[in-house]
Amino acid sequence: MADLGRAALVVTLGLALYALVAGGYAAHTNRRRLADSARNALVCAFGSTLVAALVLLAALARHDFSFQYVAAHTNRTLSTGYALSALWAGQEGSLLLWLLILTGYGALAVFVNRTLLRDLVAWVVPVLGGVASFFAFVLVAVASPFKTQVPPVDGAGLTASLQNPYMVAHPPMLYLGYVGLAVPFAFAAGALLSGRTDERWIVATRRWTLAAWTFLGFGQILGAHWAYVEVGWGGYYAWDPVENAALMPWLAATAFLHSVMIQERKGMLKVWNVVLVALAFELSVFGTFLTRSDVVNSIHSFAKSPIGGWFLAFVVISSLFSLALILLRLPLLKARTKLESALSREATFLYNNLLLVALCLTVLWGVLFPVLTQLVKGETRTIGRPYYDFFLRAFGLPLLLLMGIGPLIAWRRTSVRALLRTLAWPIGVSVVCGAALVLAGAGSSRPGLIAYTFSAFVLATIVVEVVRGTRAVGSVFTLVARNRRRYGGYVVHAAVVLLAIGIAGSSAYGRSTEQRLLPGQTMRFDGYRLTYRGVTRVNTPQALETRAHLDVSGRWNGSIATGTNDYKFPPEPNKKVAIETDWLRGEDLYVIADIRNSGAVYFTVLVKPLVNLIWLAGIVFVLGSLVAMWPDAREQRRLVTRLAPARASA
Amino acid sequence: MTAAGVVLGVVLAAAVVVVVALPFLRDPAPADDRLDAPTPAEEQRLALAEERDRALGALKELEFDHRTGKITDEDYRRDVGPLRQRAAAALRRIGEPSDAVPEPRSDREERDVTDAQPVPEPAPPPDEGTPPTPAPVPEPYPPPDEITIPSPTPPQE
Repeated sequence: MADLGRAALVVTLGLALYALVAGGYAAHTNRRRLADSARNALVCAFGSTLVAALVLLAALARHDFSFQYVAAHTNRTLSTGYALSALWAGQEGSLLLWLLILTGYGALAVFVNRTLLRDLVAWVVPVLGGVASFFAFVLVAVASPFKTQVPPVDGAGLTASLQNPYMVAHPPMLYLGYVGLAVPFAFAAGALLSGRTDERWIVATRRWTLAAWTFLGFGQILGAHWAYVEVGWGGYYAWDPVENAALMPWLAATAFLHSVMIQERKGMLKVWNVVLVALAFELSVFGTFLTRSDVVNSIHSFAKSPIGGWFLAFVVISSLFSLALILLRLPLLKARTKLESALSREATFLYNNLLLVALCLTVLWGVLFPVLTQLVKGETRTIGRPYYDFFLRAFGLPLLLLMGIGPLIAWRRTSVRALLRTLAWPIGVSVVCGAALVLAGAGSSRPGLIAYTFSAFVLATIVVEVVRGTRAVGSVFTLVARNRRRYGGYVVHAAVVLLAIGIAGSSAYGRSTEQRLLPGQTMRFDGYRLTYRGVTRVNTPQALETRAHLDVSGRWNGSIATGTNDYKFPPEPNKKVAIETDWLRGEDLYVIADIRNSGAVYFTVLVKPLVNLIWLAGIVFVLGSLVAMWPDAREQRRLVTRLAPARASA
Repeated sequence: MTAAGVVLGVVLAAAVVVVVALPFLRDPAPADDRLDAPTPAEEQRLALAEERDRALGALKELEFDHRTGKITDEDYRRDVGPLRQRAAAALRRIGEPSDAVPEPRSDREERDVTDAQPVPEPAPPPDEGTPPTPAPVPEPYPPPDEITIPSPTPPQE
């Protein structure tokens, strides 16, 4: 069946190239049937890629070790669920998933818009075809998942840290986000190529962008939770280059989702918006390049192979293409209106954009710095956590504040008097909150106190906005139903506030200690009393599970076990931490054990206040996004009405 | 390669060729093979529709911001006149849209501009006579593509 998989990928490559070349020619020469044919090729490319993916999934499920990929990433003891998740455990499988999602998204996007935006879709098809051609080429010529061999008795097994439910969901979520950003990029490029820079590309891709952004954001939260429970170092985000690779396009897409509202309402920032869309897409490919190359040291860059060079070339070429296109169409992107006041909703969106892009570029500099020092000085100098933490505070706290101020400022312009009047309640709430926090001892960390106070301010503004809006229209359901984007956005803002409180609580107010204990000895820490009882070792078919057992009393009563799993396939140790959650406080007791042969155990005990709000933020974030992107039949009919006259008379 | 693999591969390739060639097979000798790209007149109409939506959206946003206290009465009176004039001008420019897509009956309460009532006269500038009473706003400001026409409210004398 490997031959079928290979053949299907070759067919995909041919179809993608056809979509690129024939589609480009058809759009340029205005040929309808050829454009439709190229569009069909893109849809078929999804079908053939799906065949290739099903072949690989079937091989993974059957433990068919004649496939090199299957033998390298699974073994016979692996459950079917984890065996199937090995599709994205290795490089070739991940690239196949990338291509599958890209062609799937592309096929759906051009199919949905084929009637209303036929002239625009004609230019979108070659752009998507070009991106798909690159990935199909890499899969056919450089990193095929269908290489075969004489089947060994058993496979090497799945990396231990990937055998976690969060890791089953985290990579596909990120890919759905990364790849989803290709759709708005293709429509923006299509609009520029066709020379029709009206708002149709924005309207057509609004929900695609929102969906990709949601997947990317939620995928990062899942990844953070995986790191927290599985990697065993006590944290959830290490500013690892590959983690940053997912954060950067998300920041650029966040900026775009805000700035695009200014273009819709004022016809401004057209250049800025296409730059942001291109930046988000290029950063998503760059993120894949980071994961697939060995240019940076990361726990995630599991794949060290020659495909890094191909990706770099693609990033460079597509960036130059985007830049040239924007410069070429610059005259068409000029705004006819100007910002009326520095004290307006659109101005706060601009400030928010500048901060988001500054944070994005700061993270990019942190990722590239080791590579650049290696190139220039021949030695790798890395940038550590203090750098990122500093800029997170420098840009993140003002962003948090703007998130509260923005919704209370009117579009076009507002007076200082009106602004102070609307801000009175939120300011009052945040001042009272800040004072209460100082009295409660939260003044030990100034950034933490500021983050909490700003969070209270933002939550108060959301409440004020909803209350006033409800008074204006009569019902909160009517309010939300008639402007889902706005009120879904406020729910997302609430999620960001929960995230900020969780991060500030667990980092600025987190406490930790380390102590060596012998069986029977006790340690006290932060209201907890931990007594070490002894070690057990259990030999299972997958691993030797070593656990240190502790009795805990004080703020929580019970027993916990923490230690190491020494996996056999592949042979590698994996820390297993003990986490006990106090749901009332949203706080975790987090214990890591370093078990020595002497019988002594070094325990690291961490108390992480409010850390669980971060995971809750993920759920609220998804809910808010769903509200914002929920289909609206009225909106669709109005769009048809706006666009139909052009179609009908054509 | 197994026989099943060969058969499946051939079927896949054949299906792909048919689907890709479908536009040519279905319509071998078309009278017009041009892509129906908008003409300059249609592009102009689309630009006007976007301008109309922006103008109406700005007006509606102003009403909602006023009702929720984000702008003072004074600011409202200053801005509403020019915005109404802009909206009226945009509606006038776009003309009578006889080629619009018919709207379902159930949406009559949310009439779009294509079947709008006669364009209301712009309100007098704020410095002429009594300031106009804010027009009733049935819903908060939607994005420009969700725009409905506010009922024309004659300025009170």
